[in-house]
Amino acid sequence: MSRVEQDRIRNFCIIAHIDHGKSTLADRILQLTGAVSEREMREQLLDSMELERERGITIKAQAVRVGYTAADGNEYQLNLIDTPGHVDFSYEVSRSLAACEGALLVIDASQGIEAQTLANTYLAIESDLELVPVLNKIDLPAAEPDVHAAAIAELIGVAPDDVLRVSAKTGDGVEDVLAAIVERIPPPSGDPDGPARALVFDSVYDQYRGVVAFTRVVDGELLTRAPLSGMLSGARFEAEETGVMTPWSTPTERLGAGESGYVVTGLKQIGDLRVGDTITTTARPATEPLPGYRDVKPMVFCGLFPVEGDDYPALRDALERLALNDASLTYEPETSQALGFGFRCGFLGLLHMDIVRARLEREHDLDLLATTPNVEYQVTATDGSVTEVRAPADLPEPSRIEKIEEPFVRCSILVPADGVGAVMGLCQDRRGVFATMEPIEQRQQLVYDMPLSEIVLDFYDQLKSRTRGYASLDYELLDHRESPLVKLDILLAGDPVDALSLIVHRDFAEQRGRALVEALRETIPRQMFEVPIQAAIGSKILARETVKAKRKDVLAKCYGGDISRKRKLLERQKEGKKRMKHLGSVEVPQEAFLSVLSIGEGAKSGAKQ
Amino acid sequence: MSVSHLYLHSPFCSSRCGYCAFVVEVDALEKRDAYLEALLTELEREEHRLGEIETVYLGGGTPTLMRAPRLERLLAAIRPRLAEGAEVTIEANPETVDRALLESLRASGVTRVSFGIQSFRPHLLAALDRGATPEQGRAAVECARSVGFDSVSVDLLMAAPGQTLDDLEADLQDTLALAPDHVSWYELEMKPGTSLERMGAPTADEDVAADMYRRTVSALEAAGYRWYETANFAMPGHECRHSVAYWSAADYLGLGVGAVSTVGSERWRNASGVDRYVAALGRGDDPLRHRETLDDDTRRRERWMLGLRLDGPIALSWAGPPDHPDAVDRLVGAGLLEASNGRLALTREGRFLQNSVLHELMEYA
Ligand SMILES: Nc1nc2c(ncn2[C@@H]2O[C@H](COP(=O)(O)OP(=O)(O)O)[C@@H](O)[C@H]2O)c(=O)[nH]1
Ligand SMILES: C[S@@+](CC[C@H](N)C(=O)[O-])C[C@H]1O[C@@H](n2cnc3c(N)ncnc32)[C@H](O)[C@@H]1O
Ligand code: SF4
Ligand SMILES: [Mg+2]
Repeated sequence: MSRVEQDRIRNFCIIAHIDHGKSTLADRILQLTGAVSEREMREQLLDSMELERERGITIKAQAVRVGYTAADGNEYQLNLIDTPGHVDFSYEVSRSLAACEGALLVIDASQGIEAQTLANTYLAIESDLELVPVLNKIDLPAAEPDVHAAAIAELIGVAPDDVLRVSAKTGDGVEDVLAAIVERIPPPSGDPDGPARALVFDSVYDQYRGVVAFTRVVDGELLTRAPLSGMLSGARFEAEETGVMTPWSTPTERLGAGESGYVVTGLKQIGDLRVGDTITTTARPATEPLPGYRDVKPMVFCGLFPVEGDDYPALRDALERLALNDASLTYEPETSQALGFGFRCGFLGLLHMDIVRARLEREHDLDLLATTPNVEYQVTATDGSVTEVRAPADLPEPSRIEKIEEPFVRCSILVPADGVGAVMGLCQDRRGVFATMEPIEQRQQLVYDMPLSEIVLDFYDQLKSRTRGYASLDYELLDHRESPLVKLDILLAGDPVDALSLIVHRDFAEQRGRALVEALRETIPRQMFEVPIQAAIGSKILARETVKAKRKDVLAKCYGGDISRKRKLLERQKEGKKRMKHLGSVEVPQEAFLSVLSIGEGAKSGAKQ
Repeated sequence: MSVSHLYLHSPFCSSRCGYCAFVVEVDALEKRDAYLEALLTELEREEHRLGEIETVYLGGGTPTLMRAPRLERLLAAIRPRLAEGAEVTIEANPETVDRALLESLRASGVTRVSFGIQSFRPHLLAALDRGATPEQGRAAVECARSVGFDSVSVDLLMAAPGQTLDDLEADLQDTLALAPDHVSWYELEMKPGTSLERMGAPTADEDVAADMYRRTVSALEAAGYRWYETANFAMPGHECRHSVAYWSAADYLGLGVGAVSTVGSERWRNASGVDRYVAALGRGDDPLRHRETLDDDTRRRERWMLGLRLDGPIALSWAGPPDHPDAVDRLVGAGLLEASNGRLALTREGRFLQNSVLHELMEYA
C-alpha cells in the first residue's frame, strides 16, 4: 500500500448510547466506501463474534480501514474504530478514543440524549476529540430531529445546523457523514520522521500467529520484519507481519505515522504486550511512551464450578484460553465445601459475566454452576493489614475485622420528570447518596453515589421496570467507602453452605436473609425429608423457612404396555437429579445458587416498610 | 420359553376422553370386522409362543364396542389354550354393556370385568368427557355381579381437574357402597396432546394430590381391601393376576394395534393405526413393530421398578442387587424400607414415596 500523507488520513470512532445505531452506521460506511460488496455485507459486520450477534451488542473494539474519494477529488484513508455500547465495557470506549482524532456521536433521533451519550461525550471531550454529531434513525415516524438537534448542539457547543441527520438503515445522509469526517476531523499530527511510537489499543491471541496487536502509529513507522519492543513490558519481538483490516486482514509493508493497523508479534502471551503499551523500534527507540490506559480491573466476582467435578481441568483450560483474549477476565482457584473445586472469576460487570459463562458452556461444552456475584471488598484487619476479599467465604472472623470498605460508583441516570420519584426511591433503597439533579432536554439527570454491590445484581432491570424503560444508566468507579458489612450465611438442613453466603449491609441483613430463604424455599424441590433453610449471622438465626417433605412420589399407573415408557421417565428424572448439586442429603438445583438475583423487588436491600 | 399371559387390544371408542392418550380410534366402528380378522391372524402367527394361558386381558380402547358376536369368536379362539382356572378380564365402559352382552361374555369364558367408572360426580364425568352417567356405572356393576362373574372391578380417577377432597370423599363412599371386588384408583396424568392438556386444565396441587392418595389408601384399607399395588386394591383373592404378572416382570404377549409384548430380552410394540395393521396382516406380514432389546441391567432395573409397586417384599435373589446397596441402611433408618434375610420391602410410608426410594436404590441412566 502506498505511502499516504498524514493529511489524507482520518482516524475516528463512533460513540453512542446502546442501540442508537452505531453498528448499523458502521456497516453503511463500509458499504458506501466499497470496502464491502453487497454480497459480502452481513448485517453488522463488525460485530463478528457469534454471541455479539446474538445479543446485538459490540464487545471488542475493532479497527477497519476504508478508502474514500472526497468532493475535492482526493483519496482519503479513513480508519474506523468501532466501540462497545454496553456500560460493562465502557473502558473499551476510552481505549478507542485514544487512537482517534475525532468521533461520530450518534444519537437516536426518536430517543435523544441518553446516559451513555453524556458519558461518552465527556470522555471524548476529555480526550480532545473533534465531535461530529449525527442524529440517526430519522426514518422513524417518532423521530424528532429538530428538538434533539438543538439539545445536542447545546451539549457540545455547536450550531444546530452542524448536527447531521441520517438514517443508517436506509443509507439516507450517510454520504454527508463521510464528507464531514474529512472536513471536520483533523488529520493526525505525529512526527513521521521521529522514533516510532505506536499505541496498542487492542490485542488478540491467535493460536498460529501469537499475539496480534491492533495499534495506532503516532510517530515514525513500523516496518515488516523490523525488530520491535513494548516500552512498558520490555518484550522484544519482530513484526512478523504488518497490515490493516479492510475489514479482512491485508498485509502491508509498513504502517506509517497516523495509520492504524495490526502487527503480528509471534509473542506467546497476551501479557507480553498489553493494551495501552507503546510499540517502538529497537534500532531507534523512542524515549517516552505514549500515555496508556488505566488498568482494567474486574468489578464483579463469582465462583464458577463444574457441575461434574471431572470437568475441573477442562474448565481451567477453557478459562486460560478465554483470558488470552480478554484482559479484563481474571480467575483464581477456589475451593468450596459445597461445590468442590472451581474458580473465583472477575468480570467487568454482569453482562460480561453472562457472556463469559455462555462462552464457556457453549464453546467449551462445560456444564457450570455460578454463585451469586459480588464485588471486591477491602478489609482492614485488627492488626492493620489490608486484604482484598472477593468471596464471602474469605471474610475473616468479625472479631478480627477493623473495617470493611466497599467500592462506590457515581451513577448517572437520565429519566423523564414523571419517573424521578421512582428512581429516587430505588436509589435510596439501594443505599444511594444523592449528589445532583439537573435537567437535560426534557429529562432530569440524577446523580447518585452508590455502593457497586447494590447495582451489579438487578439494578438495571429494576430501573427499567420502574420507569417503563424510559431511564438510562451509566456509572463509573468512584472510591472505596467504609460500610457496616456482615457475612450472611445460609444453612441447609442445619449445615452452612459456603457457596450461598453473602456480604450485606448490617441494617439490611435480616430483610435480605428473609427474602433469600424464601427464594430458596421456592427453588429447592421437596425432598424425602423436611429441609430447614436458615439465614444467620454467626450463630444468630435471622430467618427460617422449610421445604416440606414429599408426601407422595409414585408413578401413578403402570401396565404392560408402558413399562419402557415408565423406565424412560425414570431416566429423565435421573437426568434432572444429576443436574442438581448434592449438599449433604439435600438436592439443590443450580438456580438456587443465583437465588439472590431472583429476590423480589424491594426486598433486595432495604425498601422502607 | 412359553408365554402364559396374553393381552388383546381393541382400539375402538365412541369418542376420545379428555385425559386419554391410549391407542384409540373413534368413528371407526366399520373397521371392526377387518380388525377382528387381523387380530385373529396375528394370534395365529404368534400362537407358537404361547403355552397354557394363565391370564387374558381384553383391553382398549373400548373392547365392549366389538359387540358380542365378535368377542365370542375371539374368545373361542383362545379358549382351547386356557389353563384350568385361567383369569379372563375384559375392560368395559358402562354405557356400552347390557345384560345380554355380559351373559354372552360370561358364557364365552370371561371371568372378570373391569368397568371404567372414573367418578360418580356428574360434573367431573362431564369435565372428563365421559359417556356414562353415575347410574349407568352402578347398574353395570350390579348387572355384572348378577350374571355371575368371579370378580368385578372398577377404575376411578383422583386429582382430576376441579376435583376437591370432598368430591373424592363422595366417590370413595359411592365406590364402597357398590362393594366391588377390586378397585383401581389412578391419579390423573396430564398427558401431552390430550384435550385437557391442550386446554391448559390445571394440575392438582402437590399437597392436595398427596392428601387424596393417602385418603384413598386408608379408606379402602379400612373397608377391607388390600393395597396390593401402588394404585390397586383388592378384596382377598381378587387381585388381578394379569396385572400382577406385569409387575412381576413376567413375559407377556400383546396382540393388536399399539400392543406391547415382552418375551425374554425382546420387547416389541405394534405400531398404531388400524388400517396399517389390517393391511400388513392381510398381506401375510407382521404388523409394523418397534423393537427393543433389554440387556440384563435394564431388566434388573425394571424388576426393581415394577417389584417395588407391589406390597410384598422383593427378594434380592429374584430382582438382583440394587445399584446403590449403601442406600439401604439409610432408607431403613429413615423408616422407608425394611430389610430381612435377602428381602427388601417398602414400609407403608415408603410406599407413598416409592419413586424417591427407587431413585435412591437404583441408577436409571
Ligand atoms: N429505523 C431505523 N432503525 C435503525 C437505524 N439504525 C439502526 N437501527 C436499528 O436500531 C437497532 C440498534 O442498532 P445497532 O446498530 O445495533 O445499535 P448499536 O447498539 O448502537 O450498535 C437495530 O435494530 C437497528 O436495525 C435507522 O437509521 N433507522
Ligand atoms: C385405557 S383405559 C381403557 C378402559 C376404558 N376404555 C375406559 O375408559 O374405562 C383404562 C384406564 O386407564 C385409566 N386412564 C386412562 N387415561 C389416564 C390418565 N391420563 N391418567 C390416569 N389414568 C388414566 C382410566 O382409569 C381407565 O379406566
Ligand atoms: S373410553 Fe377409555 S380408552 Fe376410550 S378414550 Fe375414553 S379413556 Fe380412552
Ligand atoms: Mg452494536
